[in-house]
Amino acid sequence: MCLLALCAASLSLLISCQHAKGGAVGSRKVIVLGIDGLDPDLLTKFMADGKMPNFARLAAQGSFKRLTTSIPPQSPVAWSNLITGMNSGGHGIFDFIHRDPKNFQLYFSTSRVEGPRHNLRLGSWVIPLGSGSAEQLRHGKAFWEILDEQGVPNYVYRIPANFPPVAAKGKTLSGMGTPDLRGTYGTFTFYTDDPTAGLGEVEGGEVVLVDVKNNRVASNLIGPDNTFRRNSPPSVEPFTVDVDPLEPVVRIAVEDQQFVLKEGEWSGWVPVEFKLMPLIGSVKGICRFYLKQTHPRFQLYVSPINIDPRNPALPISTPSDYSSDLAKQIGEFYTQGIAEDTKALTAGVLDDKEYLQQAHEVLSEHRRAFDAEFPKFHDGVFFFYFSSLDLNAHMLWRLTDPQSPAYDAALAAQYGSSLEEFYQQIDQVLGEVLPKVDDNTTLLVLSDHGFAPYRRSFNLNTWLLNNGYIALKEGVSENASEPLANVDWSRTRAYGLGLNGLYLNLRGRERQGIVEPGSQADALLSQLRQKLLAVRDPKDGSQVITRIDLASEAYQGPYARAGPDALVGYNRGYRAGWKTILGAFPAEVLEDNTNPWSGDHCIDFTKVPGVLLSNRKIEAQAPALTDIAPTILAEFGIAKTRDMMGQSVFQSR
Amino acid sequence: MAIAAFKFFLLTSPLAIVVVLSVAVGVLMVVLFGYTSDQEAIGLTKDQVKAHLLAVRLYRDQIPVVMSSYGKILRGTGRYLKLSFKPLLWVIIPITFLVVQVDRYLGAAPLPPNRPFLLTVHLAGQTSDAPNDVTLVLPSEITMTAPPVHVPSENAIVWRLVSSKEGKYEVKIATLGRSATKAVRVGSDLTRISTVRLRGQFWNRMFFSAEPPLPENFPVESISINYPERDIQIAGYGMNWIWPFFILSMVAGFIFMKIAGIRI
Repeated sequence: MCLLALCAASLSLLISCQHAKGGAVGSRKVIVLGIDGLDPDLLTKFMADGKMPNFARLAAQGSFKRLTTSIPPQSPVAWSNLITGMNSGGHGIFDFIHRDPKNFQLYFSTSRVEGPRHNLRLGSWVIPLGSGSAEQLRHGKAFWEILDEQGVPNYVYRIPANFPPVAAKGKTLSGMGTPDLRGTYGTFTFYTDDPTAGLGEVEGGEVVLVDVKNNRVASNLIGPDNTFRRNSPPSVEPFTVDVDPLEPVVRIAVEDQQFVLKEGEWSGWVPVEFKLMPLIGSVKGICRFYLKQTHPRFQLYVSPINIDPRNPALPISTPSDYSSDLAKQIGEFYTQGIAEDTKALTAGVLDDKEYLQQAHEVLSEHRRAFDAEFPKFHDGVFFFYFSSLDLNAHMLWRLTDPQSPAYDAALAAQYGSSLEEFYQQIDQVLGEVLPKVDDNTTLLVLSDHGFAPYRRSFNLNTWLLNNGYIALKEGVSENASEPLANVDWSRTRAYGLGLNGLYLNLRGRERQGIVEPGSQADALLSQLRQKLLAVRDPKDGSQVITRIDLASEAYQGPYARAGPDALVGYNRGYRAGWKTILGAFPAEVLEDNTNPWSGDHCIDFTKVPGVLLSNRKIEAQAPALTDIAPTILAEFGIAKTRDMMGQSVFQSR
Repeated sequence: MAIAAFKFFLLTSPLAIVVVLSVAVGVLMVVLFGYTSDQEAIGLTKDQVKAHLLAVRLYRDQIPVVMSSYGKILRGTGRYLKLSFKPLLWVIIPITFLVVQVDRYLGAAPLPPNRPFLLTVHLAGQTSDAPNDVTLVLPSEITMTAPPVHVPSENAIVWRLVSSKEGKYEVKIATLGRSATKAVRVGSDLTRISTVRLRGQFWNRMFFSAEPPLPENFPVESISINYPERDIQIAGYGMNWIWPFFILSMVAGFIFMKIAGIRI
């Protein structure tokens, strides 16, 4: 009897301890909808027009504020601010791309994937003596790591700058920054028998010439580089397309799968296995086909080969089998970080209608995932990310902006409301969430930045060259295949890389640095700031650059000096040109942007704030992205870490 | 109620069928082997082989003895194979036909409703004019979702179809004034599925088709449907039924062999 009583007491103690562990938690819930690029001005307009009733209801019953974005306002930087509660000085992410100051090689800022260090060469084969690695380059603790430590359950869907995903107890799926199977941000392939179609590599893709022989096309899907072979040629997987001699329809055969596509149709996800070494090595991916045309020219688009969520070749989720579980629930889905194929639209491989079909499918996948996961959420934190408003604002802005050099009245009449329709879909998602928000739930709906038109490109490196800050080697042209390869570093004082980065050629940091750190560097930065702020557009006299932030003023933390020395903040309507970002020198300093990529946010951060809506009263007058992690933690009574800069937006300051 | 549910499970669960079938086949294999083999001779041969194996270990320092034992082991193994051949035939032939029949239920799954599938007709002869004359007659529940693809290099025509409802249907293929049908199974139940209907080709029909042959004068070699493969789920892993069947029947046979005292 005594033994029984002792057991009962122990059991009671155990249960009470379990409660104490999550004591502050109870059934407290925090729902965060992270909506990339949701613009406060557009939101205000659509709410006023009655197009976004759920957002209007939330704003009326709770709070709606502009959310100060990151410096610079680029997604990897902004989401890292949100994740860690620190700015770039703390988490070390300054841009989409970073450079190695010793050799000026560019690399993705958020992650690094490397093959094995040691290999054994046997003839044409290379046998790896170890495994490769995928490393996340963002520093600092993610808010869900702290929640894990405190026993607060959490779910994090596709938050950017989390590839490979940090170790977590909850379910997480990596988002922006996750590569395709070729290790790029997304490389499509376009197969055509038209020899005038601009064959070879195009930005974000590859155009492959094929023969239609006896109504059959035989070609290869292009996979990852085969590191088992000497010189690592790309792995390939053959496929055939049988074209009906008369009708606009084909049969496609890949491995043991066959399917029929009509002209203008998308396939579902098709699994593909790239064999790297017989019996030993293979990787699995998935791709989608789009039959653009059969006659008179054959045109077939194949999406970037995505990591197969059922058999991921790289870590994309926690636990590692979560991506497979999700695929079982909703079917295969895009795993690459930037799923909307903006590059195919830019290259003219997809037209607006085709791009929109693809972009809608991406949002449908996100919504299927949301519908599968949200009903399971009962306790802790639920974070869900949507990419659609950002990428579609980038591509569709020109259809709503008659001042855009890429504006086309006919296209505007046809697709001018498309961006608004994406906003309305996000409003529908909020409509699913609101009924589940009770007194014990805090809802945060936020975006990392807003949006602005991108009408004119400013070529920073050309300006630096024209103004004597960059000198080129004698007898060479400005542009080379490698970034800044023709620059004479012994006579160069500053250079631009990335969307907003301005670097000094600093002695002791750059390989051939000539600018002395300290007063000389400070004076140069001051001079550059003054001159850049004075740049006017000869077209209409507009100020091109409205803000220059010095790293020494903008950043705090151990990595504050690891990035650019200054951040160029462009005026609305302007942005760094595509080529200058990668260290090239286009002829003109300022030029029209005729690219479909016609909206942007990589400008003066004060001009593109994000949004923050909540069902609770936001006390902070000027909430910032760095406040979000402390806010989430505070909702569970968890103190922010020492490194975190912000504080809960629900506390008055 | 529980017993009824269990019976229902047994009748409809592919895994339950595989388990029951494997055990039954394992036992049957051993019984058949026991009845059709010379148990005494097999026992004697195996004992002799074992004795010579022992001799190899015991007299490893005496080369002539070891070599002689190796020779006898080889001879004994040959004799064992000879003694096993006839009973193995008695076992393998019926099991092969049984496996073929079971595969028609467990090898493929019916087509899911509202999901496209392909119906492929391979025409007879390489120079036939038939491709342009082939027509497809569909029941109202099945619709064509794309024009047919003519594949001249394979003398084939491929239709993409979709069924709106579960059920057992027949589609009619007509050409040059003649016609034939092909069964289509849509749903999720455990049903007998024929992935292909063939003309002639006796052995292919025996192993791959579950339908009567196409008429000899019909200018079509085959009519096939790309049914999805059926996976048996074991501990979260999907696999073809033949793998658990192979392993479980061996285990069952081995256990029963010991119990029944049958030597294999």
